[in-house]
Amino acid sequence: MASAAPSVPPSLTLPPSQFARLQPHAYLLAHLSPPASSNQPSIRANGRAPSQFRVTSANTGSLTHTNGSAVVRVGDTTAVCGVRAEILPTDDIASWSVSHSSSSTNKRRKLTNPAQKPTQDDNEEEDPEDETHIQQLNLLVPNLSLSTGCAPGFIPGAPPSALAQSLSHQILNLLHTTRLVRAEDLRIWYQPPSLGSEDLERHNGSEQMDVDTERGEEVGKDKEIKAFWVLYIDIMIISLAGNPFDAAWAAVLAALRDTKLPRAWWDVDNEMVVCSDAVSESRKLSLRGLPVASSFCVFEADAAAGWRAVIIPDAEEEREIEESARKGIQRRWILADPDGYEEGLTQERVSIVVDKEQGGKGKTVIVKMEKNGGWAVDGKELKALVDISAQRWEEVKHILEQC
Amino acid sequence: MVGPTATLTPLARADGSASYQCPSTGSNILGSVNAPVELPGRRDALKPEDATVEVFVKPGTAPAGVSERYVEGIIKGVLGRLILGRERGYPRRGVVVTLATVGGESVGRGDSYLTLLPALLHTALLALLSASVPLSMTFSATVLAVCDSGDIIREPSTEQAAAAKSLHVLAFSSKGHLLLNESQGAFDFEAWEKVHQRALAICHGTSAIGSDGDIAMVEDVDGQPLEGTMRETIEDQVHRDYAWKIDAV
Repeated sequence: MASAAPSVPPSLTLPPSQFARLQPHAYLLAHLSPPASSNQPSIRANGRAPSQFRVTSANTGSLTHTNGSAVVRVGDTTAVCGVRAEILPTDDIASWSVSHSSSSTNKRRKLTNPAQKPTQDDNEEEDPEDETHIQQLNLLVPNLSLSTGCAPGFIPGAPPSALAQSLSHQILNLLHTTRLVRAEDLRIWYQPPSLGSEDLERHNGSEQMDVDTERGEEVGKDKEIKAFWVLYIDIMIISLAGNPFDAAWAAVLAALRDTKLPRAWWDVDNEMVVCSDAVSESRKLSLRGLPVASSFCVFEADAAAGWRAVIIPDAEEEREIEESARKGIQRRWILADPDGYEEGLTQERVSIVVDKEQGGKGKTVIVKMEKNGGWAVDGKELKALVDISAQRWEEVKHILEQC
Repeated sequence: MVGPTATLTPLARADGSASYQCPSTGSNILGSVNAPVELPGRRDALKPEDATVEVFVKPGTAPAGVSERYVEGIIKGVLGRLILGRERGYPRRGVVVTLATVGGESVGRGDSYLTLLPALLHTALLALLSASVPLSMTFSATVLAVCDSGDIIREPSTEQAAAAKSLHVLAFSSKGHLLLNESQGAFDFEAWEKVHQRALAICHGTSAIGSDGDIAMVEDVDGQPLEGTMRETIEDQVHRDYAWKIDAV
């Protein structure tokens, strides 16, 4: 024992990966505020600039049993979304005959011909009451699952966590407020054959008096909704590395763009809705716009704030301080598309969903703007974030159009 | 405009409680706070130096569902930053906030909680103050609806909110920071700035901060600023609680 070599003092240097685990806050702070002497740019620990999003890729139509599906990967966060369509006959809706029988024979209902589908950029206003069907009858049913072993904190097979539930709610709410899916696409109509004498000779001329092909204005009088398509939108986050909402929403969007509904019609003899299995007869959904979500978080230099007496400056005073003049503990960074490591170190979150009118040529419309958990982001910062989200919209549009 | 009314400590068994009525949205919320309490499910590995904030929202007629989880998360985000969870006695313990809708419209599936959110936030704040939980700031919140014509309606009813083009909930701290913003529906940034300005006037009055650093409460078209209403509710309660002492002097 005594003959052993003189003990070398243990090395006090740590590899970066260990430092990141032991002192996560100091690790990220050191990356974002390098010493002036080192001449290094301020960069996040994952190598991105503060307003840089992760590499995003999308792939559609991977699941063959669904009507539409998509896999979206944002960095290491991966969301799989499948859209299944099921038929809801109006006979099964308890309140249907009472509340809708009068409006279903509505003569002024605008009929859209599937052949000349409205393009995405026309902003024609449908009857707003028409659109309430989706919400009233719950025709869109999104569900998000995190119990896939996507991250160490989520046990596979466990009941839905609060995060999964609130994400499901956010997606449903966003589907409703953006009115992304048109109610008209989800209706299955029935045109009773007109047996009146004046129509008899015309009937000979057009043998195929079919519900879906013949939709004149005068024959549209007695049209009836016989059933609805219900879209079950299931999202599985199979890998979670921060920012699940952006990935999940992009997956929903890509899957809905991919969704094809078979041609369906009411068969009078069997008194049921039947579908055509010809792929050529199926039609895609015509979505309203392309809302794209971007999330941000605010990293604050002041990790020890909680141990000291908290003195928060007034908002007015705080606005005086220019961002460049902020020093020491007051500094903060707004990080776009946070990964799991950054999410664990931040409390303030901003989520912005934007769309652009006329397929990108018009002005930016904010569809949803959320900010919570702190006071670093005010009007000025939000304006800058909306601009970043508008740029992100272009990127995501490009990605979704290619897949 | 009829302002909200609130009562502190209506419940005897809870550490702190508040009931809050907002006549314009028709909401009536009862809130209770228990703090600090031992939480059975708490894991020490998670932030051992801080208190855990738990929020439960109970709708009026139905069991709590997915949308309640979402609104609980929002309230937790706001309160979590304001509660000084590192004060003596709080680390490793829990602050449990329970909010129950007693009256008013209930929220359907997939509908937003935004019209109810300011009432829930105010109830939670008053209940926390009633339980003497240390806070770094107080706040006030409001909900605004923008109609198709571009008019801004303060605290819309459920029908107005359903017809509105966009709906915004903003919360401001007592020092004027924007604490929370929840906006949905189509709008542009100019519209939001107008909403922000109006909300700031509703919460803080038109002139924000006087030369001596005090917040001047000025009444305007929106009546008394909400921040002042909240302050007065607390002051009245303190006066009532300490009447014996004040009278003795």
